[in-house]
Amino acid sequence: MSKNGFLGIEGITVGYGRTPVLNALDLSIRQGEFVALLGSSGCGKTTLLRAIAGFVKPSAGSIRVDGRDVSRLPPDKRGMALVFQSYALWPHMTVAQNIGYGPRLRGMARADIVRRVDELQELLGLAGLGQRKPAALSGGQRQRVALGRALAVDPAILLLDEPLSNLDARIRLKVRHDISALQKRLGITAVHVTHDREEAMVMADRIVIMNAGGIAQQGAPEEVFNRPSSPFVAAFMGAENMLTLPGALRNARIVIEAGSTNARAVLPLDGRLLQDGPFEIRFRAEGAELLDGHLPPAETTDALELFGHVEAASYPGGTWRHAVRVGDDILLVDAALPFAPGQPVRIRIPARNLFLFHSQADVTRPHTGSLHDGRKADVLETSEA
Amino acid sequence: MPIRLFGLFLVLPALAVIALLFVVPLTSSVIGAFAVGSGYGLGNFIKAFELYTSDIVFTVVIVSLSTTIIGFLSIAIGGYLVLGENPRAVALLRWLYRWPLFIPFIVVGQILRTFLARNGLMNNVLIGVGVITPMQAMSFLDWRGIVIAFVWKQTPFVAMLVAGAMASVDRSTIEAARNLGASRLRILIGIVVPQVATTLMVGLVLSFVTMMSVLSVPLMINAQSPTMITADIAFRINAYGDYGVANALGLISLVASACVGWFYLRQSMRKRS
Repeated sequence: MSKNGFLGIEGITVGYGRTPVLNALDLSIRQGEFVALLGSSGCGKTTLLRAIAGFVKPSAGSIRVDGRDVSRLPPDKRGMALVFQSYALWPHMTVAQNIGYGPRLRGMARADIVRRVDELQELLGLAGLGQRKPAALSGGQRQRVALGRALAVDPAILLLDEPLSNLDARIRLKVRHDISALQKRLGITAVHVTHDREEAMVMADRIVIMNAGGIAQQGAPEEVFNRPSSPFVAAFMGAENMLTLPGALRNARIVIEAGSTNARAVLPLDGRLLQDGPFEIRFRAEGAELLDGHLPPAETTDALELFGHVEAASYPGGTWRHAVRVGDDILLVDAALPFAPGQPVRIRIPARNLFLFHSQADVTRPHTGSLHDGRKADVLETSEA
Repeated sequence: MPIRLFGLFLVLPALAVIALLFVVPLTSSVIGAFAVGSGYGLGNFIKAFELYTSDIVFTVVIVSLSTTIIGFLSIAIGGYLVLGENPRAVALLRWLYRWPLFIPFIVVGQILRTFLARNGLMNNVLIGVGVITPMQAMSFLDWRGIVIAFVWKQTPFVAMLVAGAMASVDRSTIEAARNLGASRLRILIGIVVPQVATTLMVGLVLSFVTMMSVLSVPLMINAQSPTMITADIAFRINAYGDYGVANALGLISLVASACVGWFYLRQSMRKRS
């Protein structure tokens, strides 16, 4: 990333006691950009946000805002405002007092504070609630008050620490949209921490996937979704189906020879780095087709076909989800119509939905917090997106 | 035996203890306060106010002043424990501030008597250091001594309650204020204290009632007039066997304590509404 971003993080290292949490992490964020820090719990995303905000002191590295080093400044001198996961509203103050607290601290005239508070209440759909205490508000309203309180000081950067995790599912969908619409409208730079993949996808301009104190991959939502750079990212982005097959490179194409559970496949390399050897193959349940398994196997050139039989089918809504046994593996595959348990089937995974990595199954084992450790795996996927 | 009677039977010992050790003595004291000669009247109260009005005022003023100082000190101690940024100083304070809790009032009286007297440790140190001359040395063994004793003994109790409540305040409400630029003092006054106000009030009311009933401290530190109501009650009983006036004085301190309790209840009701 370039060093001239609006918010520049260079070599940030943080440890709690002897446990390293962030390890020489670099990140650059443009002005007006909405960045989501995505990762499972314990990956360091909240620590990174708190380090940016100034609540955690990094042992090394620097944080710059618009070229100015803010690493040593207290939280309020950094031009940032943080929205807390628990909202952290002051229970003894009314909505108007909560929102007006920041401007009051900054010595704004009383009339201006009233105007500013009214403006924000209007903007956030809190009009008429100014005299209520937080305890008399719904979760969604509290969340908006917390947002209003942060926005009241006109921060250059808005930091959001899982602000939607305490809302129930239906409200969350609406608030997601509200926050990103507001962010676009105000042109404010936002950093959003979440463990919810869909939330990050919907809200952010750029997703930064974190793992074990570092950045596993970053890019536009469609990029990290369709071109995961490691098995970890692929799994985190929903490609939970995993199997290992031997493969090789022939004339800039990937060749997977026919085996007991698969037909021969010749797939486009798509300009990716690749080595001969076993491949870790990942795909999403919705990225594959389920076909009748009675036809004889034939070589494919644009997809990988696997053979198995249906073990179970369930209906989560929209499509039928099948658990298909392929060799020793159980894979989940969606289909519009249900297949009966025991029925032989072919799983057809188009090349663009297939994520291939150089398998290091013997070297890297799954570790706590994630499904598969893929940081060391080479980029070997065949996505066309 | 029916189950309801059996339940009653189970709580009977506890009820009996409360009745015999609390309700009966209290009732007999209240009745005794109104017993004059052959019948009932306000004679004991008239006598009590004639003889001890200045002591009653003295007691209420001293205890109120002590309560106020205890309130400020507890907030300061609790606030530093929660917001202090020097971990060593916080640990030291946490270890230190509770010690007076374990020292009885009578010992507090004795310690302060030797400390605050004209030729006591405090003046000797001040003279030795050269802050005051021996001529300027004066005794603190008057109302000031009582206030110092009360504050010294009761602050840890209230501070402990307040510090506990402050520690359970949602930490992010403090960080949210810091994020917006509030100083530590401002966070303490504007964010933390309002959230622990109920606990603080409970601690102060309990402290007030405790101090109203302490006999040893006024006897040890300030045996001259004016003194506290407790000393007068002891004097009426021990010197004259005059239970009537003693009971009247007891009822007056009960009313003073009840006023504080009522004030607290009214505040907490208002807050809830």
